[in-house]
Amino acid sequence: MANFLGESYMDIDDPEVHEDNDVDMIIESSSNKEDDKERNFWKGSTNAKPDKFEIEEGSLELLRVFYKRFFPYKTYCYWLNYSIDPMDKPFQNREFNFVKPGDDEVYMRYLSFDTIEEFKNEVLRVCPKKIDIGAVFTAKPKEKKSLKLSALKPVEKELIFDIDMNDYDEFRTCCSGATICEKCWQLIAVAIKILDSALREDFGFKYLLWVYSGRRGVHCWVCDERARKLSDDERKSIASYLGVIKGGAQQNKKVHLYKNSLHPSLTRAHKIIEEYFERVILEDQEVLKDEREWTKVLECIPDDGVRRRLDDDWRKNSSRHSTEKWDNLLAELESSTKMTKKADSLRVCKIEIMLQYLYPRLDEAVSTKMIHLLKSPFCVHPSTGRVCVPIIPEECENFNPMVVPTISSLYNEINDYDRSHVKNDGERSLHDYEKTSLSPYIKYFDKFVQSILKETLAKNKAAMQMSMEF
Amino acid sequence: MKLRDTMERNIRIFLIFIVCLLLKKLPLTNLKASLLIDYKALEGAILRNKSEDDVKKYLEETSNKWLPLHSNESSKAYLVQEERRKDHISHFILRLAYSRTEELRNWFLKYECALFKLRFLRENPTEKQAFLNDENMRWKSLNQAEKKLMKEELNACSIPITTDGEFCDLFEIDFEKVPDLVARRAVYLKEGKAYVPVTQQLSLVMYEFRQRLAKALELASKSFITLRNERIMPMLDEIIKQYDGRTQTSNYSVINNPIADNVHQLVDHFPLCMQHLYQNLCENHHLKHYARIQFNLFLKGIGLTVEESLAFWKKSFSKVDEDKFQRDYAYNIRHNYGVEGKRQDYKPLNCMSLITKHRPNSGEIHGCPFREFSQPNLKAKLVQMGVRNDEHIREILNLAEEEHYQVACTKYFEITKGLLDKNNDSIIIETIEHPNEYLNASVLLEKNRKKMSNKDK
Repeated sequence: MANFLGESYMDIDDPEVHEDNDVDMIIESSSNKEDDKERNFWKGSTNAKPDKFEIEEGSLELLRVFYKRFFPYKTYCYWLNYSIDPMDKPFQNREFNFVKPGDDEVYMRYLSFDTIEEFKNEVLRVCPKKIDIGAVFTAKPKEKKSLKLSALKPVEKELIFDIDMNDYDEFRTCCSGATICEKCWQLIAVAIKILDSALREDFGFKYLLWVYSGRRGVHCWVCDERARKLSDDERKSIASYLGVIKGGAQQNKKVHLYKNSLHPSLTRAHKIIEEYFERVILEDQEVLKDEREWTKVLECIPDDGVRRRLDDDWRKNSSRHSTEKWDNLLAELESSTKMTKKADSLRVCKIEIMLQYLYPRLDEAVSTKMIHLLKSPFCVHPSTGRVCVPIIPEECENFNPMVVPTISSLYNEINDYDRSHVKNDGERSLHDYEKTSLSPYIKYFDKFVQSILKETLAKNKAAMQMSMEF
Repeated sequence: MKLRDTMERNIRIFLIFIVCLLLKKLPLTNLKASLLIDYKALEGAILRNKSEDDVKKYLEETSNKWLPLHSNESSKAYLVQEERRKDHISHFILRLAYSRTEELRNWFLKYECALFKLRFLRENPTEKQAFLNDENMRWKSLNQAEKKLMKEELNACSIPITTDGEFCDLFEIDFEKVPDLVARRAVYLKEGKAYVPVTQQLSLVMYEFRQRLAKALELASKSFITLRNERIMPMLDEIIKQYDGRTQTSNYSVINNPIADNVHQLVDHFPLCMQHLYQNLCENHHLKHYARIQFNLFLKGIGLTVEESLAFWKKSFSKVDEDKFQRDYAYNIRHNYGVEGKRQDYKPLNCMSLITKHRPNSGEIHGCPFREFSQPNLKAKLVQMGVRNDEHIREILNLAEEEHYQVACTKYFEITKGLLDKNNDSIIIETIEHPNEYLNASVLLEKNRKKMSNKDK
């Protein structure tokens, strides 16, 4: 629905409601996805009633070890600075948020740092159970109190995307709630493949950092300069372009393709989906196995007759294999297009269903505002203890969230190494991370940041040459 | 229709211009009123969700009455120069008046762009091209060979084909310049470039216009500080007072000092959106983030104080212990009331906001039910809420399908409150624009009916 002003992007700003501009509220909306009961890493197993003090001390100690020995401070700060030393505006004017360790959600907002050393010291001092990254502002966020309200405005920020398993729960059958397994991980993997290719091929972005969120989702940080400089409106238009799944709990059919010709971006997405649909959706998630599940699929078909016939057929033959049922569905759609007036909508229905199940489900609110805070790469998920490590998009289907290092597994690994390893003469002393399973992730991050730095350097050189020529 | 670019860029000139105006003692009241009336007409038409054609017609009528502006062609019939002078003067006066705060600038920008769009669309192709040439709006056009390479993709995006069988003119633009086309996925993108057919040229022109005007407004606001003229300031203040860009804020509450327990008693007066949230809240003892905001601000509009609101939520979230409630939920409830953080006094969301902002993701239940419910679900809900007459159900479903969500809601009000007479013609009530408006109307209706029935006794 677009009104005269083309409301989908230039929407009517209700001058009375500014909740979108409210920075404080934004945190709520992203962390509130974890509404459900979770195995709280800090409290240990849900069954045992441990001595609270002891366990918290233990966990805090593990976190401290992680931040002391493993967190890649230099590379991280170079990344956010988009340049090597010295730290400049992109880093110094960057907002950070620390969540203090402990049961209460105590936020330390509007933190900013002038040097890598300052950042590292504060991290070690506070030992945050979560770190969020915000935008680069017009001034140092830590000086907020002494500045005029209007003096602190966001200037640039990476373009970010958040894919959370939460949004797939309405049809996910292998797990529920906070649990995740190799089967449902594939839903995220397909989403990554589609989004990654769209961002690169449609928008021309090159520097994408995909990061595991620590439990059951991924974040994407688009670090190109062009992306960082996008305004809120431009981000909104991109999020809208990529938003294909529309509808809340009361909307059963969430994908509506109005034209017969598929936009090239969706054609690409559909091609990717075709490779995975049978295994992931029909076999692993078994969306046609039980009546409760297949009803959701049938509700996507805009023809009563087709729905009824399929429903009747499957009820009588409910043990039929899902792939065969899907073939039934395709056959019904095919034959009906020849008969009814709704030929067009039935023809496109197959694609709509496939998109509804496997197209990335994005939370638009995350991508739309520059000031939105997002969990930082390489921090630790407070519930699982897992490190938020980068994911290589080309290999995302092989990524196994179950084997991602946790702060306790890393602690054990480093202790084992230190105890058993004897250093030979002439042997280069390794960084701590190289002694553990964290190594490949850090190396990938290093390579990624290096490539960004190289480009920034090249650009600066070119700019300097230009100015010298005149 | 021409925009004098030199004038736009040189703020000092136009400030002097204004002063000269004052010295000449021209009848300013007519001028400023005329443009404001145009804006008001636009805003009214848009808020009532009129279609583009309706808005055009409405504006033409109003414009011709107050601020006629004819094209070059008709220059023989009308005093075109004089019309333009009036238009320019009024534009610049308003530009100065509305440059002060960001809110005013945004408002002015929005409606000036809409006005420009209408005027541009009115022009014939020759005029349009002349305008674009004057304004230096030229974009990189593709040759036939380049277009052939993308043939499949261009066809998929329904790029028009001319009578020669070739694709029409196609521009290669940075995608940032056509956000509205990108948002609707109505344009082919490749590696950061958008391929815009000449038929969509309007988007490009609008983008340029908006950028330039936005820059000019920023400049104007800066020079505003140095403007201390005693004659101009009061006049500009008066202009803003006439219309400061805020929609009418009605006095929301018709209920005296409601307390947490009153909420349950008022349920019958809730609009469908809030009934849905309330039902869910009672069933699950929980609501998700945006649903909480929507309902909490609604309660605020009813008149609940922050303490009563907290009491209500605490009771409703019965499965949550005190600590968790304070930690995870109380802060945001207080935030809605402006007692935390930024301390912004949030107003209850109106229908427009509910319909267009923060559309629910999968698993979420907030928003406007007439928009977010699928037709079968909406029908089931109507039946559940007591609408049994097939004709009534069909009417509401049709309105919802045609995207007249607020009209559907108003119809729902009429039907459930028994406002239809024997012929099923409704006593005309204005389209509902705000959930609290719905509640107030319902409460007042009941009060009136009680009064009437008491009189009869």
